[in-house]
Amino acid sequence: MKDVFRILIAPLVWFASFSAVYGLHGLMCGHEMSGVVFGLPLERAYLVAAYVCAIAVQMVLLVALYSSRIASPSPFVRFVSHATGWVGLIATIWSLVPVVFTTYCG
Amino acid sequence: MLAGAGLIFGLVMVLLLLAFRPRADTGDAGNVRVWVIGLGLAFPMVVLAALLAYGLVIGERLLPLASDDVVRVGAQGQLSTWSFTYADVPNRRTQDVLHIPAARPVDVSITTADVIHSFWVPRLAGKLDAIPGRTNILRIEADFPGTYHGVSAEFSGTGYDHFSFTVIAHDAEDWDAFLDEDIE
Amino acid sequence: MNALERHRKLTTIWASEKGFKGWFSTVNHTDLGRMFLVTAFFFFIIGGLLAMLIRVQLATPHSAFAGPEIYNQIFTMHGTIMMFLFAIPTFEGLAIYLLPKILGTRDLAFPRLTAYGYWCYAFGGSMMLIAMVFGIAPNGGWFMYPPLSSAIYSPGINTDFWLIGITFVEISAVAAAVEITVSILKYRAPGMSLDKMPIFAWYALITALMILTGFPPLILGSVLLEVERAFGFPFFQADLGGDSLLWQHLFWLFGHPEVYIIFLPAAGVISTILPVMCRTTLLGYGWIVAAALALAFLSFGLWVHHMFTTGIPHMGLAFFSAASTLVAVPTGVQIFAWIGTMWKGRPELRLPMLHLLGFFFTFVIGGLTGVMVAVVPFDWQAHDTAFITAHLHYVLFGGFVFPIFAGIYYWLPHVTGRRRFFRLGELAFALVFIGFHVTFLAMHWVGLLGQRRRIPTYAPEDGWTAINLISSVGSFVLAIGIGMILIDVILHVLTASRGRRNPWGAGTLEWAMPTPPLAYNFASLPHITSRDPLVDQPDLAVQLARGEGYLGTPRNTWRETLTVDIASGKPDMHVIYPSNTRLPILMSAVTGVFFVSLLLKFYWTVPVAVIGVTILVWRWVWGLGRGADLAPLPIGHGITLPNAGMTARSPGWWGSIFLLTANATFFGSLLFGFAFLWTVAPGWPPPVWFDPSMTELGAGLSGAIIGPIAMRLAKSVNSKGRSSITGATMSLFGAILVAVASAAMMWRTPSPVDHAYGATLFVLGGYGLFHAVLAMLMTSFLIARIVRGFTSAVRRAEFSIIGLWVDYTSVIGVLILLAAHLPGVLQ
Repeated sequence: MKDVFRILIAPLVWFASFSAVYGLHGLMCGHEMSGVVFGLPLERAYLVAAYVCAIAVQMVLLVALYSSRIASPSPFVRFVSHATGWVGLIATIWSLVPVVFTTYCG
Repeated sequence: MLAGAGLIFGLVMVLLLLAFRPRADTGDAGNVRVWVIGLGLAFPMVVLAALLAYGLVIGERLLPLASDDVVRVGAQGQLSTWSFTYADVPNRRTQDVLHIPAARPVDVSITTADVIHSFWVPRLAGKLDAIPGRTNILRIEADFPGTYHGVSAEFSGTGYDHFSFTVIAHDAEDWDAFLDEDIE
Repeated sequence: MNALERHRKLTTIWASEKGFKGWFSTVNHTDLGRMFLVTAFFFFIIGGLLAMLIRVQLATPHSAFAGPEIYNQIFTMHGTIMMFLFAIPTFEGLAIYLLPKILGTRDLAFPRLTAYGYWCYAFGGSMMLIAMVFGIAPNGGWFMYPPLSSAIYSPGINTDFWLIGITFVEISAVAAAVEITVSILKYRAPGMSLDKMPIFAWYALITALMILTGFPPLILGSVLLEVERAFGFPFFQADLGGDSLLWQHLFWLFGHPEVYIIFLPAAGVISTILPVMCRTTLLGYGWIVAAALALAFLSFGLWVHHMFTTGIPHMGLAFFSAASTLVAVPTGVQIFAWIGTMWKGRPELRLPMLHLLGFFFTFVIGGLTGVMVAVVPFDWQAHDTAFITAHLHYVLFGGFVFPIFAGIYYWLPHVTGRRRFFRLGELAFALVFIGFHVTFLAMHWVGLLGQRRRIPTYAPEDGWTAINLISSVGSFVLAIGIGMILIDVILHVLTASRGRRNPWGAGTLEWAMPTPPLAYNFASLPHITSRDPLVDQPDLAVQLARGEGYLGTPRNTWRETLTVDIASGKPDMHVIYPSNTRLPILMSAVTGVFFVSLLLKFYWTVPVAVIGVTILVWRWVWGLGRGADLAPLPIGHGITLPNAGMTARSPGWWGSIFLLTANATFFGSLLFGFAFLWTVAPGWPPPVWFDPSMTELGAGLSGAIIGPIAMRLAKSVNSKGRSSITGATMSLFGAILVAVASAAMMWRTPSPVDHAYGATLFVLGGYGLFHAVLAMLMTSFLIARIVRGFTSAVRRAEFSIIGLWVDYTSVIGVLILLAAHLPGVLQ
């Protein structure tokens, strides 16, 4: 069961963060906001912060999956969990990249 | 897009055909590098990244951005008919015919009185749905005066096949006449 | 004992009843797998005939062949049948038939559940057919968008048939998914660690997990829409706080993963057959497993691409457009790994290989048009035109039907033990291939010219006449081809031409047995040391028949097998299966009474059916108990294993874990719906909020705390050999408190017909009440067990299983009560 968990965790977290950022965007568009942080409009700042957090979490997961303490004893499960770990990271970077430059709430 | 797709398809088919020529068995290691990492991972990622960027940029351009000379009209779908209203002539309502000026951006506010419909004038823009309780705004623009065919593009039960409308794009002169209620 | 004696003894233990009576009482996976496949292909023929009717209708402009009313039923049923009654059951049937054989064991984890699933499918499918025969079939499109499918715009019974019939059929999908997941994780030959598992099992495992998480949103949507239609709860009515978009989210949250639920098993077939056809091994096994996993996950992040035209904000579309392009990468990995496999080996153009080439040609085109429609601006034009119809047929026919045809020809000798005698198959393939491409290439074209989907007629001046005629002619060529495949298969089954064992020279375990397969699969179970056992040990079949493997000596009249540790494949439990019984068919018939009563609004029979199912389930589970402890049993080769009933993690525990996974997804979707309505739907806030009550909240919460604690106490007391009756009774009391609090919440909720808020709270309360009553029944069951002396420090499996359900009830109970009371408390 632990091995199943090692394999599934990164993409599961991707799905959670993907839904969370999508939800955050929807919520913010439903409620008028104003303000500027670091030269960015508040909405954009929140979205980018969430994006960075999601990537950071994936990186932590990936490091953990490679660390000898947490990685599986089975070489095969290690291989697959590393692969899905990379899938989680790349999917996070790729699928949420619109927060950086696409128009929000339009 | 079609040419690119054709090229990729051709490549895959050629690789498939080449598999049938006689040759010696090669080990797994080099094959994984070529097939899985090279062709399976790297190749699609490069192509798709380019495609995605292109799609997002085009999408940005289609947004109804604020502009001075935008004309606002309303379109309400109702089983088997569309009725149109005009922000510039509040009391005007046309049935199944939408009048717009040519060469000016037009924002259509799309609503429905009953089930879900979809407003689609293929030559002017993509389609956008009319959802109960919501207003969706579609930017359209006709480059030249003329008559454009529009259809309702969301299945709405019997009578769906005949559910269409017409968009008439007027030149500046005719548009003024329309606003003055000279054109029926 | 020699091989023949062993065979005779095992056959008396494992055989189904003779003749057609055996169909109703069999719990054998080979029988049920075949029944699933035959039924699924029956529905494939029906769905195909409907497709022919569609093409006849569209062949000419202003066609008067079928009126719009009938035409709408035809295309709705075509989509519904192909998706729910053909594609998914075909996967289930194939997996049920094949998995125990390919994994080197004797049956699936829960044989009676397999049978129950089959009968739910058969009865639910029949309901849909009956609706069609009477001309009252669903007519709102297979996607059933409200408000078109609501009581106002579709007052007839047609839509109810869809919502209730499909939900009935989905029971079988969820049952099969639980079964397949547990079987693959636990029911394997000793030594078969995860990396030695045949690739088909990986694909089946991933598909089953996707069914467990993909189907619940649709089941929820169907339940809500049916409740709206029957009782007027406005979940999807914008003017009363509902939102029709909620349906679309729930539907596509299921609907997109569904595409991959259909494709992945076919990919598993390809990965299994292709290396055999090329006399080599699969290239990049680990990569393919990872790619299939990635595909499964990414497919849950694409659902909104079916909703690109609903006016979702631009950035929301961009997320889903990005995810939709990304999903092509793991698909690419698989395609190129397969082509690499072909390069590595020496491909031979045998009949299954022809269908695999058909797959490559068709699916690659479908994938490329799929990437096109992932680009939002293109989709805004192509959406809801014939282009999309053509695209999805390239994906589904290319990605599912061609590989399944390859699989049929590959495994047919296994099912029948015969050789193909007539050579119709090659010609049939040519017709299918040509017919398919003529039909659907034309459809791409006419779609780009602007022909919408689902229109019954068009005018000559549209300029689509010639293309539609070409498409229709192509579809008839395709139909003739499929008819020839059918004839080919029937001739194969009827002609007596004995084939040799393992005709393809494959390496997987299903060929290490006589064909047609025996009721018990293997006379003894193999020890696995590689991914292709038959390559390393070509005479494995003979060794197993001689009883040289595990469990080679039949014991009592037990249907025995063993389970293994998930990762390492070390044997860990001994299992005794139930034998032939009519309980599953009876229970699905009573389940059917429940659904038909709802359909006909015959509400007084609903409680009768519910009580009937409860009694049957009680009997079902009660029969698994043992009056005395069972000592660990020898399984051969000097290994002894505890019986599953004497462990904390029995198969029932694993089954509960995955059933609860599906259940939690259902509950999660319900909470998502609540949050969605609250934040996105027009018509909020509601006119009245729920009036919070500290008494009810307190009672519910304390029940939710008492239940699990008492259950743990019972478990620990029992493990010390003392009577656990106090703990079990306290746990029952906790469940009663949760039930009372949930019932009070339903009673006091603001009128559920006036606003979606009250409606959602009512359903949430109902969900809590249902689980609390379930927990009450389960703890009562445990008390009965304890009183009757069916538990002991050794016989402890039921404590863990019931403990899981009690825990789950507490978690959802707390969440539900907080969702209702908290907003009021905070204000």
